[in-house]
Amino acid sequence: MTTRRVRGSGLLMSAAALWLAACATASAPGPGPAPAAAPARPQPRPAAYQSEDFIVTFAQPGDTPETLAERYLGGADKGWMIEDYTGLRAFAPGQEVVIPRRPWNPAGVTPGGYQIVPILTYHNLGERARGRLVLAAPSFREQMRYLKTNGYRVVSLADFVEFARLDRQLPQRAVVLTFDDGYRAFKDHAYPVLKELGFTATLFIYTDWVGAGRGALSWADLRELAAAGMDIQAHSKTHGDLRRAQGETEAQYARRMQVELEQPQEIFNRHLGRRRPILAYPYGRWEEGLLPKLKEYGYVAAFSVRRQGNASFVRPLAGHRSQIYSEMTLDDFAKNLNVFQEENLR
Amino acid sequence: MAAGRGWLAAAALGLALGGCAFLTSTTPSEPGAGPAPGPAPVARDPLAARHRQQAEALQRDGQLRRAAEEWKIALAIAPADAQARESLRALRARIDQAVAEHLDEGRKALARGVHVEARRKFLAALALDPSNRAAFDALQSDTREVEFIAHTVRAGDTLSALAQRYYGDRSRGEVIWETNQLPPNPRLAPGTTLKIPEIPGVPFVHPEARRPAPVVAAIPTPDVPRPGPTPAPATPPTKEEFTSEINPLLVEAREALERSDYPDAIETVDKFLSGKPGDREGLTLKKQALYGQAKSQMDARQYPESIQSLTQLARLQPDYEDAPSLLRQARTRIIEQHYTQGVRFYREEKLKEAIAEWRVVLEMDPGNANARRNIDQAERLLRGLEQRMKK
Repeated sequence: MTTRRVRGSGLLMSAAALWLAACATASAPGPGPAPAAAPARPQPRPAAYQSEDFIVTFAQPGDTPETLAERYLGGADKGWMIEDYTGLRAFAPGQEVVIPRRPWNPAGVTPGGYQIVPILTYHNLGERARGRLVLAAPSFREQMRYLKTNGYRVVSLADFVEFARLDRQLPQRAVVLTFDDGYRAFKDHAYPVLKELGFTATLFIYTDWVGAGRGALSWADLRELAAAGMDIQAHSKTHGDLRRAQGETEAQYARRMQVELEQPQEIFNRHLGRRRPILAYPYGRWEEGLLPKLKEYGYVAAFSVRRQGNASFVRPLAGHRSQIYSEMTLDDFAKNLNVFQEENLR
Repeated sequence: MAAGRGWLAAAALGLALGGCAFLTSTTPSEPGAGPAPGPAPVARDPLAARHRQQAEALQRDGQLRRAAEEWKIALAIAPADAQARESLRALRARIDQAVAEHLDEGRKALARGVHVEARRKFLAALALDPSNRAAFDALQSDTREVEFIAHTVRAGDTLSALAQRYYGDRSRGEVIWETNQLPPNPRLAPGTTLKIPEIPGVPFVHPEARRPAPVVAAIPTPDVPRPGPTPAPATPPTKEEFTSEINPLLVEAREALERSDYPDAIETVDKFLSGKPGDREGLTLKKQALYGQAKSQMDARQYPESIQSLTQLARLQPDYEDAPSLLRQARTRIIEQHYTQGVRFYREEKLKEAIAEWRVVLEMDPGNANARRNIDQAERLLRGLEQRMKK
């Protein structure tokens, strides 16, 4: 469109080339198909239209949600926003793409139902399965690949907690991974797979176990894993049932909860640095009377092992997790990955 | 000429900036037409028109929030479209009104204690306005109930089978277990009622499941054939495991038990019990380990060791399984061992050693006449021998 004006001028040509280069990352003079009802006087189409809520642009050859997110949303990690909004993983060259610039559905509620986030719980892993809670490493790898190939997006537990405060929209197919107790097998069998696939996870550690059990992680291991982006959280100090025991006085219970809830945080602070405390209830057991204690020690979320997903409006101290057992087939595993509750809300 | 070139270059640069500015501005006017490009004839923009039409269609269909988004998209393309702007404003007012009504109805339902209705109203408010904090907070903090089906237990019902029947997923038996606050590994008593809760994301398998349970026996479940490559064998109902999450030391102890490494199992469970004295699960495991150890020691004819294990077990629970009879057997075997060893020594003419063995028999079984007789005989022989030696 500028060729007529700059013809014959080498200097101008280079200025124009410079312009094209400068704009290439932000916009693309895409060769998209002409609109069906083109106005009589052909108008140049801009690379993108933009308001504070939306960007409307046109796909270039090879564009994916990730490349578009890189170009328009400041990072490929925002690709899910484009994928979720358009419902598309791939685009034809020139195809119109609407890109939301801001969260458009932080609660995950639509007239057809609402989003639920599965939080999966693993325990130990081994070369082969042993009992319910020692999962064979190849099965774990298979499950993680299943998540990847089926478009699930592994998000951090911290992101989920923000979702449960209406402070963050999550990808529609968000899943959280958690590992209980702190088995050394996590480092040997799970972490390499997570790293390969770019997944993150939370380890719920019961601090008496660290460096104590034969199969336990050490503090050095945990420091290393935390540095590699894994989240380390509390699973109490002794893995005791946190419900008030029969015959336990108020004072005794308060003391016991101080040990079970506060000490792990003190130990974490010493070994790993501060965190926003999150708890996995030992045995998955809790009761209403326990919740004020959790608040007292600053816990922002806590999870049982009730086998169901979490809506954004789940009570943060009564979150759910689904345990993955060694005897589960891939089919059984997939049953724990529902991400939407259909319900007519119109 | 040079000056002309310079002017042209400046214009080109200005143009370049204008080009980049597309990103943050409206449809551009003709390139280089003027320093401040005015709004394009947006009303005729087919791209914006498509979104406007979509907005109107969605609005007619009652999909108000999606309609509002389409208006916004149309306005992103054609920001000067006053008509679209006005439509969006009116729609927003309509949405706000509807959200306020849902909120109001939800609060009233809460006040009446009808949580199921309140929940639906707050959800409807969020469906219209997914960042509505009032609806979100009410849903999160004030609204409790989920819907459930009441199931009357019949003979043969198990949690897994009920879960398979209602959810098409045996493993959801855990949720029924938790909802009804059942003990670990529960036995379901016919006639009692169980709550079968609605699990978000897991639709009830049978539409009729919402009605009271049919009279036909629930088991076996004929539905949901599983064409999976490795169909899991139907687990016998008695083997149901509902123990929730467990302590890793207990897991280690249980694993040791499973591979019949009893000393390891006992050592590990003791470690666990030192932190939780009297824990029922730990004690159960310890008893299992002691019992298993005693039996394997019996098999290996290590009777004294077996007696040690059984004595420890008796301290925890004197009537554990057939432990009392095992203990008697072990004692009998020890007595037999000492008795025959005595006979062996006797034959080898090691009379003193033989007498010692039979004394042990008498200690353990004072009424053992054979041992007493043998001792008498051996002592007589011994005395005879000693007298002969003196001569």
